[in-house]
Amino acid sequence: MKKTISILLTMVLIMGIFTGCADKNTGSGSDSGKSGSSKELNIYMWQQYISDDLIAKFEEENNVKVNLSYMSDNADAITKLTAGGGQEYDLIMTSDAYMESLIKGDYIEKINFKNIPNASNINESYWTAKEYCVPYLMNYVYIIYNKDKSPVEIKSYNDLIDPALKGQIASIDGARNLFPIALIALGYDPNSTKESEIAEAYEWLTKYNENIVAYGNAEQNLVNGTASVALTFDGNASWAMSELGEKNNLVIADFEKDPVQLGFDLYVIPKGAKHVDLAEKFLNYITDPQIMAKNLVEYPYSCPNDAAVEAASDAYKNDPARDFDYKKNVFFQEDVGEAITIYNDYYQKLKVGK
Amino acid sequence: MNRKNKFKRKTLPALAMAGPVSLWMILFVTLPMLYIIYISFMSRGVFGDVVYNFSWDSYKTLLDTTYYKVIVKSIRAAAITTVLCLIIGYPFAYYIAKKPKEVASKLIMLIMIPFWTNSLMRLNSWLLLFQTSGPINRFLQNTGFIDAPINFVYTDGLVMLGLITSMLPFAVLPMYSSIEKLSKSLLEASADLGASRRTTFLRITLPLTFPGIFSSIILVFIPSLGIYTVTDMLGGGKVLYIGNIIKNQFGAIRNWPLGAALSVLLIVITGLLIFIYTRFAKIEDMEVL
Repeated sequence: MKKTISILLTMVLIMGIFTGCADKNTGSGSDSGKSGSSKELNIYMWQQYISDDLIAKFEEENNVKVNLSYMSDNADAITKLTAGGGQEYDLIMTSDAYMESLIKGDYIEKINFKNIPNASNINESYWTAKEYCVPYLMNYVYIIYNKDKSPVEIKSYNDLIDPALKGQIASIDGARNLFPIALIALGYDPNSTKESEIAEAYEWLTKYNENIVAYGNAEQNLVNGTASVALTFDGNASWAMSELGEKNNLVIADFEKDPVQLGFDLYVIPKGAKHVDLAEKFLNYITDPQIMAKNLVEYPYSCPNDAAVEAASDAYKNDPARDFDYKKNVFFQEDVGEAITIYNDYYQKLKVGK
Repeated sequence: MNRKNKFKRKTLPALAMAGPVSLWMILFVTLPMLYIIYISFMSRGVFGDVVYNFSWDSYKTLLDTTYYKVIVKSIRAAAITTVLCLIIGYPFAYYIAKKPKEVASKLIMLIMIPFWTNSLMRLNSWLLLFQTSGPINRFLQNTGFIDAPINFVYTDGLVMLGLITSMLPFAVLPMYSSIEKLSKSLLEASADLGASRRTTFLRITLPLTFPGIFSSIILVFIPSLGIYTVTDMLGGGKVLYIGNIIKNQFGAIRNWPLGAALSVLLIVITGLLIFIYTRFAKIEDMEVL
């Protein structure tokens, strides 16, 4: 009997060990591209962000193996990039906010666009640090709400701290996503580096925090009725709206003045990447309008690739999640340098609570 | 010749038996732990990288009341979990131990079966069951108990439920093992001498099964102090315990030295608690499975 118990307990303990690894799919794989053209491509990016079918097609067409590993936070990608990511990965996804420091720190390779003719499909106005990255998809961070259930008609960020919304907001997380909306609500620069302003934003966010039901999973919580308001990405909003189908009662907040955040997810080649030839081939593949159009069916985010948007399905073009008129009134996350520690400290305080 | 023989007879078997475990412990416990202590004294770079300059900064940060609050909150949550696991687990273990052997092993099996599923899946299923449009709310509404759906998800109650269900086997199994060992003749003797069932339980059963309770406490309390997946998933990221804070330092916030300092603090707290326990109960008394 004792033996059985100890075996069972051991099993429980072993199960526990794997818990932490659940969201990591490390495909570090062996390094096979020593001579000639590479046979293996290692990509580090967001999970649930690229069509598996398209990856399979790329593998088949080029007779190569693509290993996808997933990050759970933008910071993970930065850690990889600054800690010699080229040893492990050939392409890493990061966002526009980090490009300046990544270039300054010499962590990423210049990209040879001669090998990526399809990149010309990308709208120049959505392309920062053009020599170093290929924009993939982009995200508006805006407010949507359930017009039947939300007690407040939301027209600005300040409406979000209305006590009537207590426990009703599902929100994206992260210091650099939350503080900008507070700073804008208070009339400051969303990328402020002044401690006094960030401290005020913290006070604003404690009120916002009161109204939060959960951070993350905004789209699911809207669909299953746990939340009635969400601060989320347009792609996730699109998912929620199509999930509800005919019963869709989600509307995009009709912002009058406040700008919304626009962020880009882009691919960079880390310094010292081993399979650059294949990485370029992949970038050319994913910027092909037809290919990207297919990807947009599965992942209906905003896309900087004009030709792909043109080629996309009608469902994508008429998506209610992108039907709002303040697309030009946007702000970007900028590098705040040392001030990031101020943000992090207040963010921590916010999350620890009273 | 003699020396060679001695090596063969004594050292070799010892090496073969204890060697792999020792190597494992050194490689995967001692060295990482030393590294954690080491980086806790380093400083943080602008990029969130570790800069190898000695500094007390991380430990100074810990003096901030924010962390004090988190630690108190975490210890409280872990203590509540432990107490509830004991209250639920003891009668359960008692019940199983009083069953015939074949039935008992099947019942033990039943506690284990849910653990063959990954814990993240189990946590997600709690969310699905309890969400506003989930089966439990629908059932309550259909049977007329409530008019509007109750919000169960992302509450402290659900976090507690998640913690208890994750930890219960660790509480039940050691207690079961010590209750099972309890000699029937002692209970009979107690009854013969005129003790009521309550007195027998309080003066015979409980003290003799204390080693099992003691190891249950350790096995439940320590993991629930550091666990972060439960609060992350069932708490909706609003409530942070020390485990979440440490995870954030290595993830989103990227302050490894502070994360390391917090880990060291957690180890110290755990060590202290075990020390206090051993004042009350001799460590040899612990139910060894």
